[in-house]
Amino acid sequence: MAKQTRSRAKTSSPLVKASLYTFIAAMAVFILGPLIWLALHAFVTNWTYPHLYPDGLTWSWWSKVFLDSALAEAIKNSLIISPIVVLLSMVICLPAAYAAGRMNYFGRKTFLIGMFAANSFPKIGLFAAIATLYYTLNLMGTFLGVVIIQLLGTIIYMTWIPAAAFAAIPRNLEEAARDAGASKFTVFRTITLRLAMPGILVAVVMSFLASFDEAQGSYLVGAPNIYTMPTEMYSLVQNYPIQVAAVFSLLLAFPSVLLISVARKHIIGGQLAEGFQIK
Amino acid sequence: MAKSAPRLSFLGFSMALPPALLVVGFVGLPILIGFTFSLGFTTGPNRVVSLIGQQIHTKSHWWGTLDAYRDVIHDSRFAGDFALTLLVTLISTTLVILMSLGIGVYQRMIGGRIASIMSTLTLIPLFVPVVISSWAIHTFYAGDGFMRSFFATFGINVPTLTSTTSAIIIGTIWTSLPFAILMVTSGLQSIPDALIESAQDAGAGFFRIIRTVLIPLALTPIVIATTFTAIGILGSFTIPYFLGPNQPTMLGVEISNFFGSYNRPQQSIVMAFIVFMAASGIAVAYIWANVKSAKQSGRI
Repeated sequence: MAKQTRSRAKTSSPLVKASLYTFIAAMAVFILGPLIWLALHAFVTNWTYPHLYPDGLTWSWWSKVFLDSALAEAIKNSLIISPIVVLLSMVICLPAAYAAGRMNYFGRKTFLIGMFAANSFPKIGLFAAIATLYYTLNLMGTFLGVVIIQLLGTIIYMTWIPAAAFAAIPRNLEEAARDAGASKFTVFRTITLRLAMPGILVAVVMSFLASFDEAQGSYLVGAPNIYTMPTEMYSLVQNYPIQVAAVFSLLLAFPSVLLISVARKHIIGGQLAEGFQIK
Repeated sequence: MAKSAPRLSFLGFSMALPPALLVVGFVGLPILIGFTFSLGFTTGPNRVVSLIGQQIHTKSHWWGTLDAYRDVIHDSRFAGDFALTLLVTLISTTLVILMSLGIGVYQRMIGGRIASIMSTLTLIPLFVPVVISSWAIHTFYAGDGFMRSFFATFGINVPTLTSTTSAIIIGTIWTSLPFAILMVTSGLQSIPDALIESAQDAGAGFFRIIRTVLIPLALTPIVIATTFTAIGILGSFTIPYFLGPNQPTMLGVEISNFFGSYNRPQQSIVMAFIVFMAASGIAVAYIWANVKSAKQSGRI
């Protein structure tokens, strides 16, 4: 395949090549352009239209963000809520993922289809419906209310991706270890869990990002009592200069950049796509 | 997989229970209760929200009332909002799937360095919070944004896209692209070389292979990508909120406005159900595709 691939690529005409490069350049501008443009604003005094260069450079917007109590509070809330959400999600979902991947039980098919059906209700409508219920449960504007909203968004990642990973482990590997005298627990720890680790890692990364970046639901049930970093953005962009929003965006994007570099290989390797098909 | 676990296990059932209960309690139940609220059931779990909200209709028949639905449908802005929501969903989903197919087929048939640059590039939006990307796109295409500044250097005056429907479409494509590409690409990659080669040996051309081998064999992931993209766009809030015009806007923004700013929760829930009805048609296709592929490989 690889060999054939190269020979085929060589035969393509310069015109095809040129249009390919144009397409890539256009895609790069389309995808990266807005991000770079916003990021640059975090370091400039002002940018006057139609200049392509900023008026001046400065670090002052960063101290503005850290010294603003509302913004600092939002950063703190996000850093507390998201780890709690991910841990809860792991405790609740990983056993279910193992069961879905390895066992056959009553209602399994219903469970699998139901999980996906639940995911097809439009997000914002679901949040409005949840908020209606929250009024009765007294969860409106509470810490627990926001945690539950964010937890819901992680379930799909934390059950599906590890389930596919557990299902893909060859049974005979575990049986061989058992035959060699390993205990059930040792087999689970050294073989099952280790082989499923890439899938679990991707699930944890995706769940963390889903929680950390969740904005619509947390805004609807959390504001005006509890603001996380993404929900703070809604008011930030209206009340602060664009440079402050740029600094805040960079801070908000930092965990994502860090986590992609950890899990990039596995995500491109298909763990994510694998997990999104009912098995 | 089903073959290797023939016994029905009680342990498995109880392990699967916690997330299922969470989904039933905080997704299924609210949707059900929300539906009764939209029909004018204002007691029980809907009592508090009915006291807080304005223009609440209480049921006049044993099955409820359609007054809140009438309110929404007769609202002068609703028709425009609904049309815009469907239009954006249709255009964006079509473009996203076409781009995914193009990139996926290129990667499968030709591959190489260009393909890997492309896949890395298009994966980036997956990791950018939607509030950031929406705001970044807002500033990029704004009146004083890069697009206008760049073209102004050459004396070209391009229109401001921010706060137009085009900006919503740009934003939804930007955010939907990675997932669709991942799904479509992984579907195309799993097609065995032998099938493509035998089609080539039989004299099939490039486009004929795409039409008769690649797309039919990867149909399930393509349908999943399409439905996921469409449902996501249909219910989106942040992108139209930051990028769209004030009026008309997508229903996601109106649902949030009616619930919060206007304090008309019943009308907000009604809109949610109207969006849901549009989405459920799409959802059926999605579940059908999943069940079909599971059956084919003998997993159910």
